[in-house]
Amino acid sequence: MIRLAFIVAAALALGACGEKEQVVVYKQGKYQGKPDTPPWKNESPVAELRGGKWTTGDEKSWEEAIKQRQLTQNEYKRIGQ
Amino acid sequence: MLLTRKATSAAAPQPRAFQPRLSRGLSGVFAATMDRRAFLKRSGVGVGGAAVASQLPFNIIARAEAKEEGGQLEVKRTVCTHCSVGCAIDAVVQNGVWVRQEPVFDSPLNLGAHCAKGASVREHGMTQDSHRLKYPMKLAGGKWQRISWDQAYDEISNKLLAIRKESGPDALFIVGSSKHNNEQSELLCKWARLWGTNNTDHQARICHSTTVSGLGQTWGYGAMTNSYNDEQNSKSLMFLGSNACEAHPVSMLHTLHAKENGCKVIVVDPRFTRTAAKADMYVRHRSGSDVAFLFGVLHQVFKNGWEDKEYIRNRVYGMDQVRDEVMKKWTPDKVTEVTGVPEDQVFAVAKTLAENRPGFIIWAMGQTQHTNANAIVRASNILMLALGNVGRSGGGCNVYRGHDNVQGATDIGPNPDTLPGYYPVAVPGSWTHWAKVWNVDLDWLKKRYASEALMAKPGMTVSRWIDGVLEKNDAIDQDPNLRAIIYWGHAPNSQTRGLEMLEAMKKLDLMVVIDPYPSASAAMFAKVRQDGAYLLPAATQFETEGSVTASNRSLQWREKVIDPLFESRSDQMIMYQLAGKLGFADQFIGKKDGRQVLRLVKGKGGMEEPSIEDVLRNEVNKGCWTIGYTGQSPERLQAHMRNMHVFDVKTTRARGGKDAKTGYDLTGDYFGLPWPCYGTAAIKHPGTPLLYDTHKHVMDGGHTFRALFGIEKDGINLLAEDGIASKGSDITTGYPQFDHVLLKKLGWWDELTEEEKKEAEGKTWANDLSGGIQRVSMKHGCSPFGNAKARAVVWNFPDPVPQHREPLYSPNPELVKKYPTHDDVKVFWRLPTLFKSVQDKAVKDEMYKKYPLILTSGRIVEYEGGGEETRSNPWLAELQQENYAEINPKTAADRSIRNGEYIWLSTPTGAKLKVKAKVTEGIGPDTVFVPFHFSGWWQGEDMLPYYPEGAAPIVRGEAINTATTYGYDRVTMMQESKTTLCQVAKA
Amino acid sequence: MARMKFLCDAERCIECNGCVTACKNENEVPWGVNRRRVVTLNDGVVGAEKSISVACMHCSDAPCMAVCPVDCFYRTDDGVVLHDKDLCIGCGYCFYACPFGAPQFPQAGAFGLRGKMDKCTFCAGGPEADRSETEFHKYGRNRLAEGKLPACAEMCSTKALLGGDGDMIADIYRERVLRRGRGAEVWGWSTAYGLPPKPGAQPPQPQQPAAPTGGKS
Repeated sequence: MIRLAFIVAAALALGACGEKEQVVVYKQGKYQGKPDTPPWKNESPVAELRGGKWTTGDEKSWEEAIKQRQLTQNEYKRIGQ
Repeated sequence: MLLTRKATSAAAPQPRAFQPRLSRGLSGVFAATMDRRAFLKRSGVGVGGAAVASQLPFNIIARAEAKEEGGQLEVKRTVCTHCSVGCAIDAVVQNGVWVRQEPVFDSPLNLGAHCAKGASVREHGMTQDSHRLKYPMKLAGGKWQRISWDQAYDEISNKLLAIRKESGPDALFIVGSSKHNNEQSELLCKWARLWGTNNTDHQARICHSTTVSGLGQTWGYGAMTNSYNDEQNSKSLMFLGSNACEAHPVSMLHTLHAKENGCKVIVVDPRFTRTAAKADMYVRHRSGSDVAFLFGVLHQVFKNGWEDKEYIRNRVYGMDQVRDEVMKKWTPDKVTEVTGVPEDQVFAVAKTLAENRPGFIIWAMGQTQHTNANAIVRASNILMLALGNVGRSGGGCNVYRGHDNVQGATDIGPNPDTLPGYYPVAVPGSWTHWAKVWNVDLDWLKKRYASEALMAKPGMTVSRWIDGVLEKNDAIDQDPNLRAIIYWGHAPNSQTRGLEMLEAMKKLDLMVVIDPYPSASAAMFAKVRQDGAYLLPAATQFETEGSVTASNRSLQWREKVIDPLFESRSDQMIMYQLAGKLGFADQFIGKKDGRQVLRLVKGKGGMEEPSIEDVLRNEVNKGCWTIGYTGQSPERLQAHMRNMHVFDVKTTRARGGKDAKTGYDLTGDYFGLPWPCYGTAAIKHPGTPLLYDTHKHVMDGGHTFRALFGIEKDGINLLAEDGIASKGSDITTGYPQFDHVLLKKLGWWDELTEEEKKEAEGKTWANDLSGGIQRVSMKHGCSPFGNAKARAVVWNFPDPVPQHREPLYSPNPELVKKYPTHDDVKVFWRLPTLFKSVQDKAVKDEMYKKYPLILTSGRIVEYEGGGEETRSNPWLAELQQENYAEINPKTAADRSIRNGEYIWLSTPTGAKLKVKAKVTEGIGPDTVFVPFHFSGWWQGEDMLPYYPEGAAPIVRGEAINTATTYGYDRVTMMQESKTTLCQVAKA
Repeated sequence: MARMKFLCDAERCIECNGCVTACKNENEVPWGVNRRRVVTLNDGVVGAEKSISVACMHCSDAPCMAVCPVDCFYRTDDGVVLHDKDLCIGCGYCFYACPFGAPQFPQAGAFGLRGKMDKCTFCAGGPEADRSETEFHKYGRNRLAEGKLPACAEMCSTKALLGGDGDMIADIYRERVLRRGRGAEVWGWSTAYGLPPKPGAQPPQPQQPAAPTGGKS
């Protein structure tokens, strides 16, 4: 009888071991959310979307594309002075 | 100190339950100042709450969905539908749904820039929670009920035919639209004439009609002389009557670029507007005193000898007469008395303009909406002529037009006094010409009218249609009063005298509104009537293709982005179908004698509509010789839109380039082939970016002043002086307009081909359908329309030399005595029009005491025109949720009005409007400003119940024009909305 | 490595609100949430009126990130500050902390219920699959992953709002300052902290702040 009670008690006591923490446990200064892929890991969009062109996975070529695009914000380039 | 540095004290183990540790995170943060600006100053979340409940999710997280594979993506290039800058837009469409909107950096006009309205046009393609008019509706029992198109057409046409039978065709007034593209505008002009009336008009009347008239009578064409881009070549820019930052925001890209490169910007305005905030010099003057100000500046110019004497001698007629008057009449003390501007400021303006040439004077409604506006715009012209600024890059009169296609609609659309291309209805030759182009039997057309006299008589204007209904029948210059009105793409709250408009609506037999939105017309009508109105949903400009003319006269081609949404139909389809019901469908498409001018293409739902390209190619290009709408074929325009990157921004000229799709060579073309683009498309005229510019050959975009006014007047030569002609001209002196007689005299007649000779015999440059006269004259470097002087004195105007006249409701009775307005006119545009009697009565009734503040209205950037379209766009509506009045702090303090509280604004009409008070130093203590874009409230009452279900705009407010007063320009019947009187009081 | 920044040139900003509606259009943000606003200072005062467009400044040392109790913020390699809405508890501390008021909450309900925080993402989406529908619904458009820059900066009516790599912005702005002949004193360390602009200079004297060079901005 006592053995049975002991086994039951042990089962109950250890029952919580398999549980996962249900609330966010704050870790100071560390992002806890889902991972985010950097933009250059994507494929260049189709031409209709009027986006940039770069080599997938190559950060430098993506940056070059972005900087090229940024020239449109400088109207001096278009006005060609 | 890094905020995210680990704090050693917070190393305690975390409890299982969540407990925020405020102290740890915020201790360092609160030490720094938390200077919070009034970040949400202009948002009133509460007001929009009701409309928005469905849009506010508790959190914005949606269920995770797989990436939508969807259909093929397509890009359609279109042009914003709001203002006349003409910003290009790339609309990305997937499965017929407009999903993305991208800026077009290649556009030489806007370089990818947009304002709030342009950046939000994609909302027009959204069907969820749309406030558009979705299906035809009829007012019955005081409620808007849904009906079918067929039922709507049947009932409307039966009613119209009955009215026609009883009262004649002139009982109908057709208010057309400046938002129709060029082809739709031309079709509507034709539609009105095929019905048999000249009673048709559109927004240009209340926008720039005085400009068109004033400039046209000065030197030939009434349009912007240069372009927005050309401001980059200016040394000075004077904004007198324009708030470009709010009305034409993207034009400020060119203006501010110029300013950065040394251009001086002067703003003259009764308010310190956003534009004034960017000015080097700001001058505050009294609303309506513009002639006095301009002549005050001119006085200083003449006094100091800053005028361009050579230019005046060669190219201007009548400047001496003007000079005498200005020197005598507009001395500094008189100028200060009328305008309120001290002499030193006037002098500073004159000096800046004189020392910084070339320069522009820029205006919009601030100059045009007055009773003497025809004089004001001419005073601007005279100033520019005196400085020698007209006809060169960087100088001239930059007229900022309003709606996206008001320029095109003015040129070729439904005007009461002209046929497409400004051919006057009063001249029989115009009808012969257009009957030929339209392939319509001239006799049949004549019989459509009530009489030949009425056919030649300009019709009523949109600013006065209410008097056409309300006025006594024997006082109007046509047989019937107006009994029916079609509001085809036009709002009612942009016309003055709203109280009387409501009265007119009570008396109408029929009102039809054809619009993508019900517009305030629907609400106003339902407020006072139980039946008698129909609403037909029209498609927006994104649901059809067509060309549109920007303010700089460039034409841009819009591709169709999406099919008409809900049950709406394109305007050309509605015109054709209604024409069918009314009995002139064949004439509408030019079907006669085995020939059909316009092909019918399949539109929405497989129904037929006239081909837009055919309208451009076969009617506009074939008929509008006077203004040079003949060279802009659909092919050339479409090639331009595909290759915007080859056009230089400063000159708008293509340096090279070949269109990949058609092989068309773009070299030398100016973007959009700005009219006049004379001759047929085959001779490849490049367009005229700068009007009256003699520095270039005419085949290179050069131009002269038009010889429209005769060869001489009182012994003085009206043609240009010897040696003055455009570059490379074979005739190096002044010459009149070209016709077959002149060609024969010059010995150039035989340069015409045989076919051209057949057509050109007996014709002039303006009605020769072969284009040969134009081709040959331009081959010799001559402008087809002659080479003359600009007129500083327009002898056929009521005031040959521009005069200052006080507004009808003036705040100063002494000035009214000195500068009275015109005498009353018994018949003017078919209606008796009062001037002096209104002004005298106002003085006698001491209106200036009861209503001591000057009321002026104008634009804000978030909305446009009547406002129903933009106020139905949630992204725009959120930005300005209430109508307001700008009041000076002193004015407010005198009346115990606090910033942000409601006030009652009352005017001499007896109307009282409830608006919010915005107390700001920007406006003077004698003036009050209210934006005019609002409608949906009527003197404090919300008109929501009177709108059709689900089609009321999100933001509603008082329409300022409910309260504005009587007052019309003496030449064009422009309304005086810029200057009247009011009083404000706490609510 | 590109460092993404915004700069609004107050000499050119005309409060056209193009940036505001461009953002609403591109990200389909609901009513009540305004990721970008334009503020006009000294409205109506001659000589002093200036407009400027403000959104999240994507701070290097972001206060929102520092105070978040559930650490839902992160910075990408380009310097864009983003957050995970799944973790966000809507406490509003980031709103208190931010000097620009960038965090927005979609609804004010009973008991101060706020909903998930929303803010400008530099059009870089969020921690969901790039360019997916889920990312669009939660965070708005991911234009960086399409090789584009934020919609607000690309559609600015006068090219006042510059957005993109900080070095390039500096180049563009420098050219404008040179052409205007003034304005160099508006931005920078000396204006913000009173430090002298020369490198290797002494720490500030406590008497007076550095006098602005040139005329009025």
